[in-house]
Amino acid sequence: MQPINKMRTEFLSKSANESFARVVAASFAAQADPSIEVVADIRTAVSEAVTNAIIHGYGEEEGTVVLTCVLYPDFVEITVEDFGKGIEDVEKAKTPLFTTRPDLERSGMGFTVMETFMDSLEIESRVGQGTRIRMTKELKSR
Amino acid sequence: MDVRFSREGNSLVVMMEGELDHHTASRVRERIDNKFLMEPVKNLILDLSRVTFMDSAGIGLILGRMNRVTLIGGKMLIRKPKPEIQRILRMSRIEELIELDA
Ligand SMILES: Nc1ncnc2c1ncn2[C@@H]1O[C@H](COP(=O)(O)OP(=O)(O)OP(=O)(O)O)[C@@H](O)[C@H]1O
Ligand SMILES: [Mg+2]
Repeated sequence: MQPINKMRTEFLSKSANESFARVVAASFAAQADPSIEVVADIRTAVSEAVTNAIIHGYGEEEGTVVLTCVLYPDFVEITVEDFGKGIEDVEKAKTPLFTTRPDLERSGMGFTVMETFMDSLEIESRVGQGTRIRMTKELKSR
Repeated sequence: MDVRFSREGNSLVVMMEGELDHHTASRVRERIDNKFLMEPVKNLILDLSRVTFMDSAGIGLILGRMNRVTLIGGKMLIRKPKPEIQRILRMSRIEELIELDA
């Protein structure tokens, strides 16, 4: 399928960029005139993926997070990529309430939120190389 | 995120305003915990009516506060979350653990 539009942005793994990333993805999706609920779901899912890249992918280090949004006739594809430490066991990481950072008051719900709020979620990860999250959301027009 | 405090009997009311994410949560957490220790209160009421965004960082913050309040025998109440925020609360089962005043 031919994309209608595409954008790519990269930023440092600083927590201040979490809101930046949400706004960018939501504004990009807005051109398809989606419902408020759909925009809210996209904002939340992007926030989860970007926060994970920042706190789990890079942690104390600083690195680059890449956000890509591609618009198709009736859905948007969003990719969040980091080049940090990677996930050892993706299936385990996806389990609700599983977290490797309870010390940070993380609840282990990030992947569950992404899965619930988006229509598809794919996680590709290599230990020592990084993680790529690909999500899609149907854009039913109002 | 803006945080304001008030008291209702032996409850500390926290009015939160703005976006609650990982970036804003650490400071909010610190402010609530300090205030809760200083005030002669037992219960905690989180007023979410002006929270415009919340992700799993908010779930972590709410559950973390609940653990502290429960530890001293107090109760926690969540007040007036917007529909989008209610959705994430429901998903995280916070609704089953904490009283919700819609
Ligand atoms: N980009 C990433 N790089 C490395 N590890 C990751 C990444 N994303 C997730 N993980 C791992 O997967 C686990 C589960 O992620 P998830 O987002 O579901 O929960 P969490 O981030 O721990 O808690 P929450 O999102 O509820 O605050 C994390 O604890 C972490 O170990
Ligand atoms: Mg997470």
